[in-house]
Amino acid sequence: MSPDRLAEINARYHMFSAISPEIPEDAGFLFSAKDNLTSAGMETKCGSRILEGYVPVFDAAAIERMKAAGGALVGKTNMDEFGFGTFSVNSAFGVPLNPFDPERSCGGSSGGSACAAAVLEGHVSLGVSTGGSVSCPASFCGVYGLTPTYGRVSRHGLIDYGNSLDKVGLLSADAPVLGRRLAEISGRDPRDPTSCAQPELSLSGKRISSVAAPEEALRGVSGAVGEAFKASLDRIRESGADVETISMPSLRYAIPAYYVIATCEASTNLARYVGMRYGRQDGDLSLGFDDYFASFRTEYFGDEAKRRILLGTYARMAGFRDRYYAKALRVRAHIIESYKEAFGRFDAVATPTMPFIAPRFSEISAMSPVDSFAADFLTVPPNLAGIPHLSVPCGYSEGMPIGLHVSTDHWREDLLASFAEDWSESFKAERAGVGQ
Amino acid sequence: MDLETVARVARAARISLTEEEAERYRRDLTDILDYFKVLDEAPDGSSAGVNPVEVADALRDDEPRVCADAYAMLSGMKTYDGYVRGPRLS
Amino acid sequence: MKIGLEIHVQLPTRSKMFCACPTEEAEAPNAHVCPVCLGMPGSRPVLNMRALECGIALAKLLGCEVAETTWFSRKTYFYPDMCKSVQITQYDHPVGTNGSYALDGGKRVRIARIQLEEDPGKTKRVGDQSSLIDYNRSGIPLAEIVTEPDLSSPAEAREFLKRLIGDIRHALGLRDDGERSIRCDCNISVGSERCEVKNVTGLRNVERALAFEAVRQTKVLRSGGKVVRETRRFDEERGVTISVRKKEMEADYGYIDEPDLGIFHIKEMAGRVSVGESPQAMAARLSAEYGMGEKAARQLVSSSVGLAALFEELAEAAGAEAAKSWIGEIGSHWKRAEERGADRAEIVRIVSEAAAGGMNDVEARMALRAHMTGEEPQCAEGARPDLDAVILGYIDSDPGILDEIRKNGRASNRIIGHAVKATGGAFSSSEIVSAVGRIVAERLG
Repeated sequence: MSPDRLAEINARYHMFSAISPEIPEDAGFLFSAKDNLTSAGMETKCGSRILEGYVPVFDAAAIERMKAAGGALVGKTNMDEFGFGTFSVNSAFGVPLNPFDPERSCGGSSGGSACAAAVLEGHVSLGVSTGGSVSCPASFCGVYGLTPTYGRVSRHGLIDYGNSLDKVGLLSADAPVLGRRLAEISGRDPRDPTSCAQPELSLSGKRISSVAAPEEALRGVSGAVGEAFKASLDRIRESGADVETISMPSLRYAIPAYYVIATCEASTNLARYVGMRYGRQDGDLSLGFDDYFASFRTEYFGDEAKRRILLGTYARMAGFRDRYYAKALRVRAHIIESYKEAFGRFDAVATPTMPFIAPRFSEISAMSPVDSFAADFLTVPPNLAGIPHLSVPCGYSEGMPIGLHVSTDHWREDLLASFAEDWSESFKAERAGVGQ
Repeated sequence: MDLETVARVARAARISLTEEEAERYRRDLTDILDYFKVLDEAPDGSSAGVNPVEVADALRDDEPRVCADAYAMLSGMKTYDGYVRGPRLS
Repeated sequence: MKIGLEIHVQLPTRSKMFCACPTEEAEAPNAHVCPVCLGMPGSRPVLNMRALECGIALAKLLGCEVAETTWFSRKTYFYPDMCKSVQITQYDHPVGTNGSYALDGGKRVRIARIQLEEDPGKTKRVGDQSSLIDYNRSGIPLAEIVTEPDLSSPAEAREFLKRLIGDIRHALGLRDDGERSIRCDCNISVGSERCEVKNVTGLRNVERALAFEAVRQTKVLRSGGKVVRETRRFDEERGVTISVRKKEMEADYGYIDEPDLGIFHIKEMAGRVSVGESPQAMAARLSAEYGMGEKAARQLVSSSVGLAALFEELAEAAGAEAAKSWIGEIGSHWKRAEERGADRAEIVRIVSEAAAGGMNDVEARMALRAHMTGEEPQCAEGARPDLDAVILGYIDSDPGILDEIRKNGRASNRIIGHAVKATGGAFSSSEIVSAVGRIVAERLG
């Protein structure tokens, strides 16, 4: 695939924010990476104007390891600014269009990655999930999306959104690729302490034999999604696994706990963008530093970034910190405990991935911030708990894909890898777009 | 959330807001915080960690090393005589 | 009057706190920097084990409680020298809490907490138009020691600091790089409201700043005014404190846990970190064990802990009385001896020999000086020692030597060896050989 051909495809779907000038003919495989993973010598912008011109001096660990495994990086994928969004509409560099219907969203925030995985043959894309940013676009674009356990893949070179939540994941239309590439990019990395807690990944081929379906998961999903989910549970039963409905009342606390922790951490991470050292630096240095910093942040952060910075700054201020930030950490611990309890009895927890099919852009612009947050109610809980999860295509409605979401206990990506392979053999997913 | 709080938070975050923006964010944040009220009644876990999996005792030996090309990094910055240029200090 | 101090101590690590950049002085600005200490997007911190050990050692030295685990926090504030706009510091789980430190006369100053944190870079003003920043210091490890407001005068604060820093230098093996390396935030209240004088450098300035503030607050109160709680800075040249606009409100720091580093089991580590005896404790012990005056013991320890340790070796080898009578002489050459790396065992040998009567005081004094300073005795004394007297003195102390020489002429080498040492190079070896030969021949008759 030549850069020119890629540029043609990109003109149609806007999945890339940058395309590599050269793509070696003899590469073992081609991959792309979400634009919040640093790429040495290649501009990395995170969907934000404030980072325009930032050319990192180092590759993110995940990119480094993909290259070491024989991969060639073909481009950086478009995303919501700093990962702030569910539909990839919050990017300063164009909005990726859904390959099944260009009037609809690819999902977010790794929308460009899901689009590339759906459209390009044999492609794999590195995505990043904080609260569902791999699963959501995988579901909307009809591809497989695997998010490993927090800490499984080194975050060295990942431009932070929420450091206690961010995970590098994989998107591909080709299910067996997920496990293989995960084995290559995971492992301890002394440059990221949070990667050093992991036990070794062993892809034993062990299968999921029991699945819990929380009844709370079907409240508020569309009729088509509910039908597809029930059909998926039947398919799992047919494969020989036990499926049982359970109750996980703690799930309803996940969204607020997640948004508090994520925005608190994000507002500290984004404090560094002040028009000095990297990204945009074209301001008037004779301004006092407070005014100088504010001028950049006001001009170059987008609307959603500002909203989340304000929310996070508020939730960690003395006087509010205990009610929001400290409380959210304790609630996260509670939610992790309820998952552990479920995993004491079942191998996996299954829900739909998103409560609806990919919405039209016209529908998205009518959504309030709370509507957007609420759309993540199924993908946020496993992300908050740091447990690995997988979205697989499981049905279609109005010609648009629907996703099934499967989560397992910490460090049990092996069960998800084998599930993805088995699923791809029994469920024939439809492909969209231009292919080669 | 009142406008005064929005202004204080925006100042702390070094973001300037027009009156119209301040009012819009006030509304949004009020809605969001209402939506978060459910947190007040949520049960606590037995131990709240910094990370969702335990990350403990990851340490580095005290070995100095030149780990990056300072020149390459500085070439992307505004500099003067080896110093990084910044805004006025007051 | 109530005074509390927040003392910043740079920890003696070779690499920075969260990256491997060297801590030594750089030849140019921004030479010791990397993506981590420049806060480049995508970089992340990894804690230096030595920095954590130093923090634990300080906590033990100051009698602090060391919790099971410690972790770090993010303090957000905006300034050009703070490249992440976030300082990694400690907030609700510092490395040590609730310690105390004794002053002369037994008064205890409570230590509220000891926390570890990173230093920001350094700014330089350029006219009034912009600033220049050097990030070489960004990420240098610091410990901040916070006392309760238990000090009651500027002089006491200075005395406290002086001893504390001496103890810390000893415990951490810090180079004594002058009092300028000590940075303090000083809290003082004469009435009910306190002011903070930020970033005062050096012991003398701490005392000056506090003294000025005490007078200023007293005047305000006497004239019926109210002391306003505020942050001030100290103008060293004019010797006055000046109110500064507080850049951030405490509430705006918005502390959260640092999620990139994880937690650290310090209680377990504390078992492995050993802290040497503090100079204060050592002085008390010397005084009790060797019947030394308290003041003399303190003087000895405060002049050099190494010298005090030698005193103990001398007492062991030659008895407490000999050690006490010789330590003054040895102390007068101590600095030179340390610079030259003179062998301590030889000092012990000379004093032992003198105590055993193997040489007289004059000889011993000369031998010590020659050994410790390396100076030729004639330079030191203006005249050469009496070589004959040294040789005769040795023969008197060991009369059997003459019989041995009668049997084997080479036994005279013992006398030669002694004379060479005792005269500290004042004579050439041929001079000594011929003098020994002459005197032995006379004696053997």
